[in-house]
Amino acid sequence: MSNITLVLESVGRGERKPTEELFPLVYQELRRMAAARMAGEAAGHTLQPTALVHEAWLQLVGDGEQTWQNRRHFFGAAAEAMRRILILNARRKSALKRGGGQSRVNIEDLEITAATPDEHILLIDEALQWLEAEDPETARMVLLKFFGGLTNEEVAENLGVSLRTVNRQWLYAKLKLFRWIRDQNK
Amino acid sequence: MNPESQLEAAVCFVAANVQDPALRTQFLEQACAGDAQLRAAVEELLLAHGDAEKFFAEGRAAVNAPDLDTQAAASIQEATGEIQQDDLTDEQIGSRIGRYTLLQRIGEGGCGTVYLAEQAEPVRRQVALKVIKLGMDTKNVIARFEAERQALAMMDHPNIARVLDAGATETGRPFFVMELVRGTRITKYCDENHLDTVQRLELFIQVCHAIQHAHQKGVIHRDIKPSNILVTLHDGAPVPKVIDFGIAKATEGRLTNNTLFTACEQFVGTPAYMSPEQAEITGLDIDTRSDIYSLGVLLYELLTGRTPFDTNVLMQAGLDEMRRTLREKEPQMPSTMITSLRRTELTLTASQRHAEPPKLISQLKGDLDWIVMKALEKDRNRRYDTANGLAMDIQRYLDSEPVVARPPSRLYRLQKLVRRNNIVFAAGGAVALALVIGLGLSTWLFFREREAREREAQLRAEAEDRAKITQAVMFVSQGKYDDADETLKQLKAVPSNPTLDGVSAFRSVGEWMAIHGRWQQAAERYSALIKIDKLDNVKQIALDYEACGVVLAESQDHEAYADFWRMAVTNCSTAQIETILITCLELPVSQPQMAALKPLADHQESNSVPRAKSRVSEWAMMPVAAWKYRCGDYDAAMEWSQRALELKSKFPACDADAYLILAMADYQRGHNGEALAELAQGRQSVETRFRAGLDHGKAEASYWFDWVFARRLLQEASALIDGDSAQPTPE
Repeated sequence: MSNITLVLESVGRGERKPTEELFPLVYQELRRMAAARMAGEAAGHTLQPTALVHEAWLQLVGDGEQTWQNRRHFFGAAAEAMRRILILNARRKSALKRGGGQSRVNIEDLEITAATPDEHILLIDEALQWLEAEDPETARMVLLKFFGGLTNEEVAENLGVSLRTVNRQWLYAKLKLFRWIRDQNK
Repeated sequence: MNPESQLEAAVCFVAANVQDPALRTQFLEQACAGDAQLRAAVEELLLAHGDAEKFFAEGRAAVNAPDLDTQAAASIQEATGEIQQDDLTDEQIGSRIGRYTLLQRIGEGGCGTVYLAEQAEPVRRQVALKVIKLGMDTKNVIARFEAERQALAMMDHPNIARVLDAGATETGRPFFVMELVRGTRITKYCDENHLDTVQRLELFIQVCHAIQHAHQKGVIHRDIKPSNILVTLHDGAPVPKVIDFGIAKATEGRLTNNTLFTACEQFVGTPAYMSPEQAEITGLDIDTRSDIYSLGVLLYELLTGRTPFDTNVLMQAGLDEMRRTLREKEPQMPSTMITSLRRTELTLTASQRHAEPPKLISQLKGDLDWIVMKALEKDRNRRYDTANGLAMDIQRYLDSEPVVARPPSRLYRLQKLVRRNNIVFAAGGAVALALVIGLGLSTWLFFREREAREREAQLRAEAEDRAKITQAVMFVSQGKYDDADETLKQLKAVPSNPTLDGVSAFRSVGEWMAIHGRWQQAAERYSALIKIDKLDNVKQIALDYEACGVVLAESQDHEAYADFWRMAVTNCSTAQIETILITCLELPVSQPQMAALKPLADHQESNSVPRAKSRVSEWAMMPVAAWKYRCGDYDAAMEWSQRALELKSKFPACDADAYLILAMADYQRGHNGEALAELAQGRQSVETRFRAGLDHGKAEASYWFDWVFARRLLQEASALIDGDSAQPTPE
């Protein structure tokens, strides 16, 4: 934990490259929290990405003394971590459902309209990888919004753009991603 | 995003939000004028708009409720090849913390872990022990943990799980011990035992009383739900106990003004029980009435077996939609909800309430409907103001008296209607007047209601003030004095029965302001402090008076100083004379003031004459010296100050006072040379202290206010001596 605080502090001073260093730490913490939640009752109700991420932030850095800059980096890392957790979970279950043995789901096997919730996540993840190459800026917004669970207002604050830009870009991104997924599955 | 994409995105966004196809075509024609390529691209994208939205909504639902299971957790571990270390580093089962042996881990909150533990002595019993989690023991978290423990310890109510003990582990992590409540959650208990509506209401009233008690101690629960209210049997009678009391409040950063944290704490909570204001992302402004809302949800569930909004539906919809529902959607009334159930569900629900369906429906219809709906009002100003108010109304229902809750009056409904249809009612004043007359309110009822409401309002104000004081205590513990000052400023009244912590918050803030030279704010806090100061011992109160006097003198508020002066002299008890007397002599005094002070001064003088065996302190002599000087008895003033200095008792501020009074008395007697030398002594001492910077100070080294006092005397002496003998002293 103090590791994270240290990294964040150095980020605040502009010393290090943040996300690469922050990600494994945040990931580990989120994974631990997710596992703890799953062990408890009503797991589905409490594993809200936003809640987990915010709680992780709170637990890791405690009070509100960290700078906004740090929060920005943190939420990027956290959304990425959340994405990994969800993907691992979805892959495993999807694989189980298809008779096991398969470590990865081949998206070409999936029928887009009949996708299970987990397959939704996998498809969107694949599409997001494509978008990351095409348009990294929009991809980051999708990451924060979809996997990070942030609201449009929070995304706008995080990316330093206007709320209207986020509204516009989010709708557009959904259309493009969906079209890509559909085209891949023709 | 490149410019083309940006344009595409903008056009798509507008077009997607235009529902009417003709309008949409018209818009596209204008927006893409001459750019066939753009138009084709947009239209192609928009074709899939509905499908895309649906696809992402389903995706979000999957993310929101990812259906993770323990196997999945295992797979995550496998995939990353890491081992969870928590259990190795946290407290071990079977180990001991103080006199408690840990038996079993029973829960985990944001920053603490709860264990079932056994206490061996003085009595053998099982308790719940909560210890701050490893790695969470930062200074701030500990401070909050501690503040919350204190808040919990203040509560003493048969329906609230008690705090029994507190301490720190060997490694210094704080823990506290609570009464172990073994019970069934309240809804389950009621259903299993087929409690009828009346019995349920009686249990619920007890819960209200527990929450009221907490509110009066300044604690807001914020997470009232069936799993936090357990029913135990006590001599065969069911007793509900509220547990998990705002523990999250101590451990999560609820008091920071950062919306992210509030967002966090809220959505970790249980949406179905959350008040609209809690669901707001900017929900910092939570008060006791949020708990009233949650109580309303609990009552709803006890009566109908369902929450006003279905948890699953709320969760599936996503955060924004959830907020909107909680904020805008009117829940069905309990009787309507019951009526809309399917036949089998209705029969089951009724039988769990020991009633036939028609009877249950008719029971709920009317008063109970309105009571529940009043507690569930979206606008908290329209809810019951206090938990007691809610309990009283239910009691009125049980006693077949008219309840306060009622269907929205015709006037209210009219107002709403007018607001909705401004134009139609533009000339409808006459209609409204007719309706008001038509309401025919009984004057008697009106007054009775108003009385009840005023009482409720007063209780609420008190509860809110207590909440603010608790908050201020926490700010002080975090070193946020400006925030604490701001919070204390908002108090509606001087607290009538505050805790020691509450009192010390006023003192700490006043002191901090004074040390930083912010005299006006310091004066406000100290003036409030001495008005409530009756919990500490008399010596401490006297010191508070001294600080207050000093601060008021610095703040230059002459009227407030005069008021303070009168109050100090009037309230002075024998044990406080020494301190109060000198406090009241800081500035020159008028003839009537002299007369008022004389009895105190005479008493002090007779007590300060050195006698065999009993030693008189320097601080006991200074008030007499100051008194003599103010009286114009300069010889006596010199004598007393010299006597004080001869004690060599090493109270530096006191010595400074003595030199300065001596200097002034000498000067008045015409001993200019001595006066200048003594003034220099006093000045050096005072200036040295202030050059080093003022701090809280200790009794031996003199408190900060002793030094401010001495500086004031220095100014007086300097004006008198330097000002008069303006000629430079020949070397």
